Amino acid sequence: FHNLQELRHSASLANKVFIQRDYSEGTTCKFQTKFPSELESRIELTLFEETVKTLNNFYAEAEKIGGQSYLEGCLACATAYLIFLCMETRYEKQVLKKIAKYIQEQNEKIYAPRGLLITDPIERGMRVIEISIYEDRGSSGSSSGSSSVSGSTAR
Amino acid sequence: MPGSSSKSGGRGPSSSPLPHAVVSPSRPLRPSRYVPVAAATFFLVGSTTLFFCFTCPWLSEQFSVAVPIYNGVIFLFVLANFCMATFMDPGIFPRADEDEDKEDDFRAPLYKTVEIRGIQVRMKWCSTCRFYRPPRCSHCSVCDNCVEEFDHHCPWVNNCIGRRNYRYFFLFLLSLTAHIMAVFGFGLLFILCQRQNINHLHAIVTLAVMCVAGLFLIPVAGLTGFHVVLVARGRTTNEQVTGKFRGGVNPFTNGCWRNVSHVLCSSQAPRYLGRKKCVQNVSVQPPFLRLQLTEAQLAAKILDNGIQGDLHRSKSSLEMMESQSCDAEPPPPPKPELRYPGIGQRNAEECSLLGKAPPTPTMYKYRPTYSPGKNHTTLTHAYANQLSRGESVGSARDSSSSTSSLLQASQQPGFRSQPSLDRRDAVSDRAVGGGERREAGREAGGGGGIPGYTLGGRSYPSFSDPTVLSAVASRSSSLAGAAHVSEATTASTSFKSLANQTPPPHHPSRNGSLSYDSLLAGEDFDKAAAPEPPAGRLCTPATGGYGSPFLSQQRDADLPSQSSQSPHHHHRSSHHHHPFLHRSSSSSSSPPPPPERDRLLGDPHTAPAANSSAPLPPHHHHHHHHHHSHHHHHHSSSTSSSSSRPPRFAAPHHAYPYRTRSTDVPLGSGGASARSPLSAHPPPLGKSLSYSSAAAAEMQYRLVRKASASAGANAAGVGGGGEGGGMGGAIQAPKGELIQMKPRSRTNGGQPFSSSSSSCSAPSSPSHLISSPSRPAADHLSSPVTQSPAHKPPAGGVKKVTGVGGTTYEISV
Repeated sequence: FHNLQELRHSASLANKVFIQRDYSEGTTCKFQTKFPSELESRIELTLFEETVKTLNNFYAEAEKIGGQSYLEGCLACATAYLIFLCMETRYEKQVLKKIAKYIQEQNEKIYAPRGLLITDPIERGMRVIEISIYEDRGSSGSSSGSSSVSGSTAR
Repeated sequence: MPGSSSKSGGRGPSSSPLPHAVVSPSRPLRPSRYVPVAAATFFLVGSTTLFFCFTCPWLSEQFSVAVPIYNGVIFLFVLANFCMATFMDPGIFPRADEDEDKEDDFRAPLYKTVEIRGIQVRMKWCSTCRFYRPPRCSHCSVCDNCVEEFDHHCPWVNNCIGRRNYRYFFLFLLSLTAHIMAVFGFGLLFILCQRQNINHLHAIVTLAVMCVAGLFLIPVAGLTGFHVVLVARGRTTNEQVTGKFRGGVNPFTNGCWRNVSHVLCSSQAPRYLGRKKCVQNVSVQPPFLRLQLTEAQLAAKILDNGIQGDLHRSKSSLEMMESQSCDAEPPPPPKPELRYPGIGQRNAEECSLLGKAPPTPTMYKYRPTYSPGKNHTTLTHAYANQLSRGESVGSARDSSSSTSSLLQASQQPGFRSQPSLDRRDAVSDRAVGGGERREAGREAGGGGGIPGYTLGGRSYPSFSDPTVLSAVASRSSSLAGAAHVSEATTASTSFKSLANQTPPPHHPSRNGSLSYDSLLAGEDFDKAAAPEPPAGRLCTPATGGYGSPFLSQQRDADLPSQSSQSPHHHHRSSHHHHPFLHRSSSSSSSPPPPPERDRLLGDPHTAPAANSSAPLPPHHHHHHHHHHSHHHHHHSSSTSSSSSRPPRFAAPHHAYPYRTRSTDVPLGSGGASARSPLSAHPPPLGKSLSYSSAAAAEMQYRLVRKASASAGANAAGVGGGGEGGGMGGAIQAPKGELIQMKPRSRTNGGQPFSSSSSSCSAPSSPSHLISSPSRPAADHLSSPVTQSPAHKPPAGGVKKVTGVGGTTYEISV
């Protein structure tokens, strides 16, 4: 953490971009693939689009009504929904696990090296994808570090 | 509910980050809120228990054991669904953080419109939750939460019914109906079988239970039937009760079968609240990978000042969401489309841009000449390409930029003009390149405000810059003529359609004058004014095509659509070139009715262009009716053949307009300026000095005289400018001359050109003419003009004209 804090000193949060939902097909979870202008200089269009499209595919798969979801519902009914105490729903598996993992991996590989950070939309109620843009503050980290230290000692 | 007022006493709802599903300890209880659910629970459990205790034993013995089992299963089902409906999160949205609604602050409209399957749906801004409610979302006043796919707040379960728990609520209703009917039926059976023991305890209890069941059966069955219909239609109670889709089409329905399966068989949606925040262990540390930005892009970004970013951010939430204006007003878009049918695709894009009205008109005021950085970037990309590509253009660009900088400097903040000029040149160069004309145009246009600005500016420099003109001419000639011709055609077409619009009164003067700076200044005026309606944007093109792109840029400053602008710009840029091309290729192949600007450009070009330009004057008349009288006048006055061009004569007038503009003086000679631009427009590119020098001299003398006459009528400065313009215009020299004129007038803007009022300017013009053909140095040309006074000895054989720096040009008469 210490390392992270020091690192954070040198990269400060400059801006946040919010990718909105695409409601053109109803209330199914889908995000716009439009490339925001703030990211134009930070990341390639293709990478961004691929990320959003993959996320959209994940959500579409999670909301798909098929055999598995039907069986899950019947089972839940049969057990008076006690099964929910033991088992994760299909959607939860998709959302929690797959997407979180995908976003983490994208952040590590693609976005963090470019000074960006994607936040899981579930934290925002699936309304927006939040992309934080960090700016390189240079060597201001040392000064802020020392100031924080002095602040803590003063306390 | 009476209890709700006390509920908010515990904490401010808007300040609380968590929705009210989490009850803080300080929150006072609202007993009234729990009455219905307590009553429901009491009646349900109590009655069923009594039923099982008193009615079922006898029935099971009498008929079968299946009776209580069946009832037991149904009751279990009822309970399970009741608990799920009561305790499950219906799909509460967490409150938005402050940073999310930064864009939607003061300027945030109350409604945002989004198109869902072709139907406009309004999204309302929730002030409590600080976001625009997604479709089908509603804010529950009882729970003080925004709930996804809000159905209603059910008091019997003391919970909102939303996306996550609607299924359980529906099943609860179904099972409850079945349960009530079973209890009632079996109780009736019991009573009928035990008629003789009716006064027994069992019978009495059974009767009581039957009464309760019968009492609740009617409303519950009614509610169940109501929800069965809702599920089949794919609506929520909220939508049904508020009549949202009354007589209309429901965009959320997928058909009866799909709706039912969605309710019953879809996977359980995840909750948004109460999730453990997954801490990202990703460290974001510099150095960061950056996209390769060309210097042009960086320059664009610097110029942008981040305003575009703000604008874009403010719109980002609105962009795709609104197919129409974000405000509740009706969208303006269709008008531009009707207006400029000839623009085609570009028009459509522009129209879409127009449709997305900027959130605040004030933004335009802040950024009069810039368009969103996105466009910027696009432009710079193009520019970068240009840079990499057009090496040969470099020289031209430099010269033109110097020229343009002169122009720009006089009228606008330097920083603004500079990049645009560069871009302009780049784009123009690119346009000349031919193959990537589209791209160039797009990129130029994409620059958004800047491109628009650039293009507007570009047109000037391209004309004024002798180097560019010559370069363009040479290039055009070398390149396939078809490409250019097509460009010209498209440019002319686009301009034509643009010109179809009735220009505002002040526009003609602007158009007429070939003063680029005045044009730019004019554009600034337009921009400074309140943004016109989208039509207005298109209107500007009518002003000769220069104004509109620029103005349109203004309007759509925050609209990122690059392509929309690019074609427009492209057209304009190509437009610029095309007159030259045409002239150089053949005067007869004059472009089809070009916009005013075209004509302006074309006139000088055609006129001087060679002796074959004889048909030009008529052509000019044909195209530029308002210059008609002027041309006639010139013709009558000139004794020379076609070579002696009316444009030359009109030059003085031409000079006026743009000088005036640069000094922000209303064009006194509006009509003259209107005329002059046409004629004063830079001589055709690549035009060779084929005209007879004698005739030219004569013409120039006359023009100069006229200029001085008109100069006398105007202020000294204007006159001076007119003179300079006249001189420049009179010169049939290649475009370089015109360019010279511009800078000259620009630089002279401040200083009253008293000397210019003298007729000596006339002689200088021919000298300029002669010197210009090969000339690339704009300042070189301009200086002679400014300095003027040509001392041109009225010798018969050779005329000597002194240029800048003491250079002497000899004109053979």
